[in-house]
Amino acid sequence: MSSQSFAGTAILVRQVWRRDRVLASVWTFLLVAVSYASASATASLYSTEAARVTAARAINASPAIVALYGPILDVHSLGEFAMTKMTVLYAVFVAVMFIVLVRRHTRVEEESGQTELVGGTAVGRDAPLAAAVLATSVIAVGLGILTAVANVAGGLPLTGSLAFGGSWTGLGLVAIGVAAVACQFSASARTCASLAAGAIGVLYVMRAVGDTSQEWVSWLTPLGWGTRLRAYSGTRWWVLGLYVVLALVLFGVAQLLRAHRDLGAGLVAARPGRTHAESWFGNAQALAWKVHASTLLIWSVASAVLGAVFGAIAPNLGDLLKSSQALAMMQRLGGTGVISKTLIAAELSIIAVVVTCFALSVVAHAGADEAAGRTGHVLCSGSSRWQTFAALVTVAFVGSVWLMTVIGIFVSLGYGIAGGGLGSAFADVVPAAVDQVPAIFVVAAIGVLFFAIRGHWTVGGWAALVAFLTLGQLGELLQLPTWVIDLSPFAHVPAMPVSDFAPLSTAVLLVVATGILALAWASYRSRDVV
Amino acid sequence: MDPSVVISVEGLVKKFGNFRALDGLDLQVRRGEVHGFLGPNGAGKSTTIRALLGLLRTDAGTAEVFGLDPWRDAVAIHRRLAYVPGDVALWPNLSGGETIDLLIRMRGATPSGSRREELLERFELDPTKKGRAYSKGNRQKVALVAALASDCELLILDEPTSGLDPLMEQVFNECVAEHTARGSTVLLSSHILSEVERLAQRVTIIRDGRAVESGALEELRHLHRCKVRAVVTGTMPDLSGLGGIHDLTVNGAEVALSVDPHSLSPVLAALAAAGLAALTSAPPSLEELFLDAYRTPGEDIVA
Repeated sequence: MSSQSFAGTAILVRQVWRRDRVLASVWTFLLVAVSYASASATASLYSTEAARVTAARAINASPAIVALYGPILDVHSLGEFAMTKMTVLYAVFVAVMFIVLVRRHTRVEEESGQTELVGGTAVGRDAPLAAAVLATSVIAVGLGILTAVANVAGGLPLTGSLAFGGSWTGLGLVAIGVAAVACQFSASARTCASLAAGAIGVLYVMRAVGDTSQEWVSWLTPLGWGTRLRAYSGTRWWVLGLYVVLALVLFGVAQLLRAHRDLGAGLVAARPGRTHAESWFGNAQALAWKVHASTLLIWSVASAVLGAVFGAIAPNLGDLLKSSQALAMMQRLGGTGVISKTLIAAELSIIAVVVTCFALSVVAHAGADEAAGRTGHVLCSGSSRWQTFAALVTVAFVGSVWLMTVIGIFVSLGYGIAGGGLGSAFADVVPAAVDQVPAIFVVAAIGVLFFAIRGHWTVGGWAALVAFLTLGQLGELLQLPTWVIDLSPFAHVPAMPVSDFAPLSTAVLLVVATGILALAWASYRSRDVV
Repeated sequence: MDPSVVISVEGLVKKFGNFRALDGLDLQVRRGEVHGFLGPNGAGKSTTIRALLGLLRTDAGTAEVFGLDPWRDAVAIHRRLAYVPGDVALWPNLSGGETIDLLIRMRGATPSGSRREELLERFELDPTKKGRAYSKGNRQKVALVAALASDCELLILDEPTSGLDPLMEQVFNECVAEHTARGSTVLLSSHILSEVERLAQRVTIIRDGRAVESGALEELRHLHRCKVRAVVTGTMPDLSGLGGIHDLTVNGAEVALSVDPHSLSPVLAALAAAGLAALTSAPPSLEELFLDAYRTPGEDIVA
């Protein structure tokens, strides 16, 4: 490594900012706006401190909420209470943004050949990675500052807001490091994305486990540090140092890995493929399954592991709560049996959103196939438009059903083996998991519709998912009218296994999804394929 | 419908917003011929091909392939043709062999009964590499092997040799010749004039989405000027009085000019009368036809 190998970094940094000006701005704006809304709405929603403390205690008493958002360490702190959803859950969205940005400027460009084009100019070997890390790190700092300003504007104390903004910057830096490392492993940008997302998933689950059982586990994951920074109640500033140290280590590892591989290659040498295709491999449907096979396998394994861990947490929660006065409250609400089921229902609703990402990634892949000209090959080789459309829909939809089923089975296994009773778990949890599917279908169908209108509009599906998620998370906080909140298909899924199966809303969701798909087909059959 | 016509396009219009990519295009490809399809970048060659493949919906005019409508009967048409795009994108995680088998099977043929192995050998292509590992030329070979492996009535090739080295270009030429010998028709879009001159019997030259020239290579040459260069022993005759002469330059005893076919005899007679020391005349190369057809109307002759 010499200074020459970093030549041109400054130009590339500006290039990153230019290409990201819309994506990074919109994403940053949404995050900052949500943080501001949470800060300002909390003060107006809870007029007295007593009401706020009661609500904070209720959150801590609900393991489902603690597993999702982390605990509130100081129930008297306004800031900590206002940032309940921001500290962990929205921090995940921060991480996702930086993974998307870093991957875009490293492995994606390497795969499509732009890095080679740039490498032929007077730009050093290490400049592309350095520029991606540097440019996104500046964005992370900007995000932290803006968030701090927004929180102060929302009525929270200055010092705490600075610390909180620092935690988002810190997590952003860690995510940049995670993505930079993940992008060195495989020659496929898709596999690199799965690795980075998987790492964030593991860190999130570790924190859920730590927050609901052994606290030291939460100290092992950067997603647990946001809570333990105690931004608004006796800030532990040194925790911010943990983010920086971890990020620097990850940057160093990424640089080391990059130096030991060839441009465009992964760390593992590509194995030769088959000389002949399998005998069944000869139509659009088979092609779609084969192209998505490895992704589906990774998702299935991840779903099984996550499901088993989440399931295993649930039955022990009754014990955890015995000492606390919250137990009495929960028992008034319906007993400890309900607690674990509430947790499972909450977990399933989050998992459904994650599985929706699988369906949308399949749709996005179809858009990329068309842009690259691969769809043209298929359509000009005797496959009809209907066959290519059906192949896309089948993989996205059947894949989602499969993943939710895997999750249902493994949550049941985890729950049963950890002492919750295997038989009743299967009877309760598997239907509850599968019941999330119609809502996933609706969002996936919206994604397909965007694709069917224009091949490069698949980002519309992601926008719809973000919108529905925001409605679900913040609709009540912002006191939006019920009909607006009800626009989200996820609002119509009953919280099984606590609530009963709701045949009507399930049927309505399925009809809506089918209707959107019909529209999509009508558009796809009559549009130009680029 | 005339069974000797494989592709028939009349007055085809395709608009992208306000831009008319095809602006009343005519094209006729007869059964058994190699038809060269020439035009500069952005002339509308690929748009035409995509319309013929039913990927694009057209705004006006008619297009028929095998007497069928490309939009409505896309699948029936595609079973009888093979297409090689100019820029071949492969599935990154499928091997070349898998991709070839897939494309052959989707066309309704079987890989084992095809010329797949023979072609892999002739094109020196390793079928076990993954799509992302192939160079541009090798990606093109994957598509060519898949297209040439089984007999089809029509080959549509969009600048098929742009990534091939000269030796592989030679192999490609042989393969296309064998394909037509078996009775196949070829629509060959290309920039490489020598390739079209060698392979094609008829050409269509397009510019700005319209056909500006179309016909057999011989016919087109007849329609065009001949280049004459001569050195005379006597006094240089005054040729400017004769009609049909262009680009006349006189340099001492040396004269160079372009002449319309009907004026060739009087020009040669005048030169012969002055006494000839040297004379060369050449029919226009396709290159010159190309430049002629591309010259924006009204622009002066420079070449």
